[in-house]
Amino acid sequence: MSTLTNLSSSVEDLRDTDRTRMLLFLMDNLIWPILFVSFLFFSALLPEIFTDYRNIRFLLYTSAGLGAITLAEGICLISGHFDLSVGSIAGFSAMSGSLFLTQWAPGTPGVVGIAVVLGVGAFIGFLNGFFISKFGVNPFLQTLSTLIIFEGGILVLSSTSIFNLPGTFTYLGGATVDLPLFKPMPVAVFFMFALFVAVFAWLTKTRFGRAIYAVGGDKEAAGEAGINVDKVVISVYVVSGLLAATGGLLLTGFTGGATPTLGTAQLFPAFTAAVIGGISLFGGRGNVLNALGGVLLLGTISAGLVMLNVGPQIVQTVNGVILFSAILLYTFVGRYRERLLSDL
Amino acid sequence: MTNDDTPLIAVDGIEKRFGTVEALSGVNLELGDNEVLGLVGDNGAGKSTLIKTLVGIHQPDAGEIRYDGDPVTIENPKAARELGIGTVYQDLALVDELSVASNLFLGRNPIKKIGGLIPVLDEEYMNEEAERILRERLNIHVDPETPVEYLSGGERQAIAIARALVTDPDIVLLDEPTSALSKAAVNEVEELVFTLKENGHSVIIIDHNLEEIFSWTDRIAILFNGRVVDVVDTEEVTRDDIVSMMISGQSVLGDDTDADEQTAGSESATSSSTA
Repeated sequence: MSTLTNLSSSVEDLRDTDRTRMLLFLMDNLIWPILFVSFLFFSALLPEIFTDYRNIRFLLYTSAGLGAITLAEGICLISGHFDLSVGSIAGFSAMSGSLFLTQWAPGTPGVVGIAVVLGVGAFIGFLNGFFISKFGVNPFLQTLSTLIIFEGGILVLSSTSIFNLPGTFTYLGGATVDLPLFKPMPVAVFFMFALFVAVFAWLTKTRFGRAIYAVGGDKEAAGEAGINVDKVVISVYVVSGLLAATGGLLLTGFTGGATPTLGTAQLFPAFTAAVIGGISLFGGRGNVLNALGGVLLLGTISAGLVMLNVGPQIVQTVNGVILFSAILLYTFVGRYRERLLSDL
Repeated sequence: MTNDDTPLIAVDGIEKRFGTVEALSGVNLELGDNEVLGLVGDNGAGKSTLIKTLVGIHQPDAGEIRYDGDPVTIENPKAARELGIGTVYQDLALVDELSVASNLFLGRNPIKKIGGLIPVLDEEYMNEEAERILRERLNIHVDPETPVEYLSGGERQAIAIARALVTDPDIVLLDEPTSALSKAAVNEVEELVFTLKENGHSVIIIDHNLEEIFSWTDRIAILFNGRVVDVVDTEEVTRDDIVSMMISGQSVLGDDTDADEQTAGSESATSSSTA
């Protein structure tokens, strides 16, 4: 009998439920319409210039390093954790790799330098994850100390920029390729898209990715279901470290060398991009592809402002305003979402 | 099949202390095939400790657990699951953000290999299985791809029960299944309990609501201060009897043999004739 009543009521609700689900879908993917509108806005203010191939190429190119670091932040947030150290990991690991190739072991092939960069990033990430999961250190405080230690560590290693790096080392971040469809296009742009797709697939298509969402959604429930929560947390920080280091590598290629301030300025934009991409600060919710939307939105706005001859020093203020608006927006969306869910 | 007289699970003289607190002081309890047993008692009577011992979260300090007549050690929740005990936790232990199917298979998601190499989640199998288990075992029709947060309280309870059923257990433990539910959802849980029994499962329910205990169970075990006061047939007692046993710790069914047996049991020996 209950099945019958369920059936009739569900037929009645069908249209309503469908609408509700569409709204929920839209709310989960808000970043793309926002990006679209912002792009139209600057295209209208800067006709022809903004939509020029070279501008779009530059916009994408400047997004690559930030994209990788945003991914690093994003997976931590999805697992229900914070990572304040992504920027300094990027800078420190890039500086380590660059010094390794130029001063510690000159003449070593660039590939070894890349391995050093990734190894340093993964190791720092491991330390974060280890202390957070095994000693119960608060993630915010743990990664804050990591941030301070390695931001200082960069200057201990070198207070000047390191240039004249092997081509293989800067290839990923600095080289361009000619493809039939994309005239000259930086390798970093393709790499960024590939990285986002790969991490997205890892998070959504594998057992481990599902475990990361579960831990972020409800740590206790994940544990009761038999997931090894500590292992998940440590792995998330290791991968986060790897991704941050990859960001450092891309930025080194972009700049042509490792500068002491290379990654440190990236923390807040990365955080902003992840949040405006809809990744929840409370964990378990969010889609890294939407974080790519967040990265592109920040790139669009800063490129637009620069081209409008607004001073670059204003960009950070604008980014702050965007973050604030995003948080406000998602707070409202969150509340509206609860209401919709209770209607379902 | 095994001899009908052998209880599915028998707890014999189980003791458990935490520091100076004796949570269980010689508990004897038996659960028969296809039986719904209610576990009642005041806070601190030992209900939770007993359940947690059965699912391997706690290890008993003394006593024996027999499963189908064989002595067993239940080392952890996974071991309990493999033995045939499925648990539905009071907080349901569902991850809201994940889909129904994901929650059902959480921690043991089936994998398929793309090109025989790359292991990916077998969503198709998960969805089909989830849909089938919910429909066949619980008579619930839910889209397995729906996030759990979209569901009602009763549906969520059903998902939690379905998760316990994925491993096809003989026994399902329900810890306070209705504590956070609306009246309508409670009715749904009632149907679920009946469906479980119909499908041949044995069920142990912890519940504060005596009305539910009375309408759902075959027998009721009353716990007091870490021991079993009495195990009674639900049809043979009144609500007042149960309440008085919960408060006084004395069996009110004048029946001397029961009381004696109980005293003897809590002291030392075994009593395998309770059923």
